[in-house]
Amino acid sequence: METIASGQPWIIWAVFSPLVGAIFAFLLPRHASLVGCLAALATSGAILGLVRQVVEFGPQRYLLGGWGAPLGVDLQADGLSVVMLLTAGVVGAGVTVYATGYFQRSSQAARAFWPLWLWLWTAMNALFLSADIFNLYVTLELLSLSAVALVAVSGNADALTGAMRYLLVSLLGSLSYLFGVVLFYGAHGTLDIALLGDLTGPSPADWVATGLMITGLAIKSALFPLHFWLPPAHAAAPAPVSALLSALVVKASFYLLLRLWLDVFPVSTPVAGQLLGVLGAAAIVWGSLKALRQKRLKLLVAYSTVAQLGYLFLAFPLASTLAAATAWSGSVMFIVSHALAKTAMFLAAGNILRSVGHDRIAELGGAQRSATLSWIAFAIAGISIMGLPPSGGFTAKWVMLQAAFASGQWWWSMPIIGGGLLAAAYVFRIVALAFAPIGAPGTSKSVPKRMELAALGFAVAAVMAGFATLQILSLLDSGAPFGQIGAEAVL
Amino acid sequence: MDVMSLAANWTFDGLLALALLWVGWRVLASTNLFKGIVFFIAFGLLVALSWVRLEAPDVALAEAAIGAGLTGALLLAALSRLRRRQDSAQASDQPLDAETSRTARLSLGTQALLIVFSAVLFVCLGTAFLSLPPLTPGLGPQVAEQLSASGVTNPVTAVLLNFRAYDTLLEMGVLFLALVAVWSLSPAPAQLVTAPGSILISFVRVLVPIVVLAATYLLWIGAYAPGGAFQAGAVLAAAVVLILLAGENTMPAGSTWPLRATLSLGLGVFVAVGMSLMGMGRSFLDFPTDQAGNLILLIEVAATVSIGVTLAALFLGGQPQRGSPK
Amino acid sequence: MTATMAYATAGIGLFVLGLYALSAYTHLLRKVIALNIMASGIFLVFGAIAHRAPGQGADPVPHALVITGVVVAVSATALALALMLRIQAETGQPRLPDETSD
Repeated sequence: METIASGQPWIIWAVFSPLVGAIFAFLLPRHASLVGCLAALATSGAILGLVRQVVEFGPQRYLLGGWGAPLGVDLQADGLSVVMLLTAGVVGAGVTVYATGYFQRSSQAARAFWPLWLWLWTAMNALFLSADIFNLYVTLELLSLSAVALVAVSGNADALTGAMRYLLVSLLGSLSYLFGVVLFYGAHGTLDIALLGDLTGPSPADWVATGLMITGLAIKSALFPLHFWLPPAHAAAPAPVSALLSALVVKASFYLLLRLWLDVFPVSTPVAGQLLGVLGAAAIVWGSLKALRQKRLKLLVAYSTVAQLGYLFLAFPLASTLAAATAWSGSVMFIVSHALAKTAMFLAAGNILRSVGHDRIAELGGAQRSATLSWIAFAIAGISIMGLPPSGGFTAKWVMLQAAFASGQWWWSMPIIGGGLLAAAYVFRIVALAFAPIGAPGTSKSVPKRMELAALGFAVAAVMAGFATLQILSLLDSGAPFGQIGAEAVL
Repeated sequence: MDVMSLAANWTFDGLLALALLWVGWRVLASTNLFKGIVFFIAFGLLVALSWVRLEAPDVALAEAAIGAGLTGALLLAALSRLRRRQDSAQASDQPLDAETSRTARLSLGTQALLIVFSAVLFVCLGTAFLSLPPLTPGLGPQVAEQLSASGVTNPVTAVLLNFRAYDTLLEMGVLFLALVAVWSLSPAPAQLVTAPGSILISFVRVLVPIVVLAATYLLWIGAYAPGGAFQAGAVLAAAVVLILLAGENTMPAGSTWPLRATLSLGLGVFVAVGMSLMGMGRSFLDFPTDQAGNLILLIEVAATVSIGVTLAALFLGGQPQRGSPK
Repeated sequence: MTATMAYATAGIGLFVLGLYALSAYTHLLRKVIALNIMASGIFLVFGAIAHRAPGQGADPVPHALVITGVVVAVSATALALALMLRIQAETGQPRLPDETSD
């Protein structure tokens, strides 16, 4: 099934490049941004190496300490982990470039940002590659603590209270997850995902453990109505951090939910699937309506994240039928395209905020004469958020619609399409500002070119992702994560 | 086992469990926060006692040192800072008893809902526990089987530093990250305590060497018996905290690299050992059986020093500033 | 499964009590303490699970995991307390502002 990794242990380098970088960024605070760039380079290389390995040799398993599960902890890389890793790598590398412009060299904020960001990256890569549910708990905590500290980097009252609420909610989610781990170990005496998957069944302990884990991870993924912590935290964070949180961090816990759903939880949980789907649909409507009514640009983008995360959860009801592989593929496509588009939007919003000095939507009219590229980036990213062709957002929704009709559950197409219309409304609300008459001159600051180009790059990538759909899905398939449900041709 | 001692055991465990619940509730519900924290420390000691009853002396030590001791110290330090600032603020809209106003403005309905939810949750969790098979072996037999190849004879240390060493490495990472995060938030408060008495100072001079000795013993014994790097590190942290309390501000400024190096030492050595083994063609953290004991000791010594200094630095609560007042 | 039942019950009870306190109280220090009590409760349940076979000695793996958990908990506590003090410094209140919308 899975080959024991041989050759270059890229899987180790993917976790330890950012980790070693984080230590050095702390040791050499004056050169933190240089260390950050070098670590980003090494991490990207390791990720590419691992991707090649998985494509060539199939899923990889690495026995840490040589023990092997269940006694030891294993790492594993299949198609799903690799797609997540790659998404995090692309966003991470781009945000690294952006951050070198955003944070002034050896300022207090820069010194705080670099080691924390590298820890965040370590936590994500470790999470995508772990095959042990307790080890995953530790990676979840690494992820929460680094994400919370990053939100607080800007240091104002909004950021601090946003960070605190985020921390409390995150810790609650982790504890809920941990209780599930304890019950699973008590029932089956193992912590390895693959071994556990063969043992779980319809017993009360397994059901309760499943419920606890789903709840904990849904809180962390900001599923409606447990999303209340997300907008203040994501909006108050510095722009590169907002991008990382919205594009990646919430998806890391979603990835874990998906992984456990596929590999560990007792099979056939249609009721839970339908419930998650309903909450996802509610998130799409509620998040979009809230986004429409926001007065601040970054809050609008953050509520858009709440709405877009809802789409991911629509895969659960669709996947309880024959269309499973299609539904999951749509969900993963959505993760990728939303990550790119949302990074572009938050980076662009950060540029606009920096050039105008505020992000009050009502006063942004005509502000496009500075940071013009960022306005363009925002509009292009909007294409993918709305789901217009040929963007990645479009293909993701298209695949999901296919799953909805193929599974005979056409009604799920309503939130998919309706959410796109609502997204169009809030995106146009911002884009229309660019066509407002030009305001009084002399209030704008210039933004470093690389920050504008980073935003634009991600926006273009989000649109282009539509053309790369087949490549992404075949990469996903190279590890056959959905194989046990019966892989079928998509598109 | 005769009936009498069985009954005595049952009674003791039952009473201890009740005490846990009662003290736990006192911690949460006490009107005064200081009282609550004192109850929290007592609670931690009861938990440690429970771990002894559950035949987990390693956990009992960790719970007493870290769960009750250090967490308690962190909470008390935070409370005293809260109160000092509240006193100096003297804002009319902040009554001094603000901390005693206990519950949020929850409506009765919400509270009732919360209580019902809690009860349902309790029943669900209880049912789940009761439905667990009475005797799953867990991984105990496998640990026992491989113990001789682990380099240590204490099974808990074998799990922590060999079988699941990667977990422990990431956990050192969590501790390190917490420090980075706390430092990124704020500088250390200028003054930790007001003018320590001379008795405290001479007391500390006597106590610190003893505490350091105890930490060394705990570290060394961890290979064979209950103890190990985390317990030893917590005890070491107590020594550093004592020195700080005595006003001997020996914590060097945060921008000097010796302190940063000490804080990173444990994690750094852990990673370096893992990587070196990879360089020798083994897998990450795959200790050769004959060297496992030495390598584990090396990692543990570095970890103890880092854990001790990190926990003490967390107690200080911020990044030490260059030229901060003594 | 004899006396371990008592500790498991206490553990579950503490988890639920902590959850109640976390939702009911507004002071951040109380919330942090509540999370710590919840964690202690989970750990005790794990300890009871490790001790189900009396006479055979306890399973050492949960013990090691609980030690890891204790260290994680103290790390999170330290960060939460530092954040709380900063919030008090900025807003004058050691609690979170009420939600105005949503």
